[in-house]
Amino acid sequence: MHRAWHGDPLHIRLSGRGGQGIILSGVVVAEAAMLDGKFVVHTQSYGPEARLGASKSEVVISAREIAFPEVAQADVLLCLSADAYQKYGERVAAGALSVIDDLVVGAGRATGEVMLPLRRTAREMGNELSANMVGLGALIAIAGIADPEHGRQAIRQWVKPEFREVNLKAFERGMELGAACVAAPS
Amino acid sequence: MRLVQGNEAVVWGALASGCNFYAGYPITPATEIMEYMARLLPGRGGVFIQMEDELAALGAVIGAAWGGMRGMTATSGPGFSLMQEHIGYAAMSQTPCVVVDSQRVGPSTGQPTMPAQGDVMQARWGSHGDRPALVVTASSVKEVYDTTRLSFEWAYAYRVPVIILLDAVLSHMRENIELPVLPASAELASPSGDPELPFGSHPFMPFSAATRTIVSGLAHDESGATRGSGIGTANEQILKGAIRQIENDAPRLARCRADRLEDAEWAIVSYGITARTARSAVDLLRADGVRVGLLELHTLWPFPEQIVQALAQRVRGMLMAELNLGQLVLSLRAAAQGMCPVSGLGRADGELFTPEAIAAAMSAEIRQIEVGGRMSHHV
Repeated sequence: MHRAWHGDPLHIRLSGRGGQGIILSGVVVAEAAMLDGKFVVHTQSYGPEARLGASKSEVVISAREIAFPEVAQADVLLCLSADAYQKYGERVAAGALSVIDDLVVGAGRATGEVMLPLRRTAREMGNELSANMVGLGALIAIAGIADPEHGRQAIRQWVKPEFREVNLKAFERGMELGAACVAAPS
Repeated sequence: MRLVQGNEAVVWGALASGCNFYAGYPITPATEIMEYMARLLPGRGGVFIQMEDELAALGAVIGAAWGGMRGMTATSGPGFSLMQEHIGYAAMSQTPCVVVDSQRVGPSTGQPTMPAQGDVMQARWGSHGDRPALVVTASSVKEVYDTTRLSFEWAYAYRVPVIILLDAVLSHMRENIELPVLPASAELASPSGDPELPFGSHPFMPFSAATRTIVSGLAHDESGATRGSGIGTANEQILKGAIRQIENDAPRLARCRADRLEDAEWAIVSYGITARTARSAVDLLRADGVRVGLLELHTLWPFPEQIVQALAQRVRGMLMAELNLGQLVLSLRAAAQGMCPVSGLGRADGELFTPEAIAAAMSAEIRQIEVGGRMSHHV
């Protein structure tokens, strides 16, 4: 099977609703990939969209200098809301991996779409706002977009001290969800 | 290595250049510049002021320069329009300062969060009257840092307001770059020059209690006097001198990057964030065997006429890609002087071009020129 996330440059789109920490999760991915020794470019949707409505944050990762900074077709997509799925669900490359929150209705039928309980897991752990980190953990476990240890370092670097622990725990839980999904027969 | 945002790179570049004064008014997508300055300047012995609007912001920066501080401000389209009055005043009073305009879609309020390159002509001609102009841009976070450093250097070398044009994508974009260690807060060189002649071609000299200096937006002579016979001529001399100085140094000031132009038959010319898309477009066209290259402009004004002329002499056609409905293409066409066809590709809907769109426009121009060439051959 063709795996788009093995390519270089790697195009990652993180999407959801404003307030779900989409931009922060993009920064964390970019920081982790930087620690991996790659060139990274992070761009963000900002303004009215970042306060409710579909919001996105994109990261391009490459071993070489990156020219075009945005993502046209994502190799890896994280989707935390129905709005975002409607807008970005189909804008993916052939062989892409899409990790989608399982509360999003109507998703999960296309090849490469993996439904995981991202928001529910975060809520059970005490803070639904850490669903972004559950998602990041899953993406790293399934697609290996960055070294997990660098993911943790990036969270420590960018998340405010008072939310660091809850985000690190959410990230670990996401790694477990992702690992279970890789191990399960498809 | 650090993950740095475009707006943050402006601040690091400014601080590395000895900037110790910032006055501004927040506006998307330039606000982070102000936020970083508010955080960093006071601790370095500098001054940060949030003003009541953009006119006041640049007014304060001009005043700070007279008082011996190195000042800058940052804004976006609507604020940049308001600043035009004081950009003219800085030019008339020969006051060094740096103004960042992170471009968003206009006119008016436009699309506050979306990128554009529609202020290119305004940056050159927005203020009334004739003045010397230095306008620079960048296409990566590292270049934002370098360009900001250069802007402070040029502002003081030429005693002019230097304008840095960014855009909403570049301002908010993060890239991993190596930032030099920030020096301790810089002291300005002590005043030099004839205290009786603060204007004209003299080095910039902050005011001091020892001398009485008159500054006016009225026409004035080298002493700053605004009355008397011959003021018009004297003032024209000052302006001509300032403009000539930049014209003479234009080859040195013309910063650009030539990418795969050595064997190119066709050239894409672009600047700022669009130049990155154009670089990807060159990759696509080269993969199809098209001998195309990219001229990426870093200095927009003075327009790098000589470089463009040399290129126009040896390529068969040029394409200017920019996020507006046709601005810098006018200067490109004028500089090419008909030596080769020049076409423009523009948009102002708040989106970046895709590499495919620029490649398709270049291909279309090539087809048109080749067909036209064959037809004229048959005639």
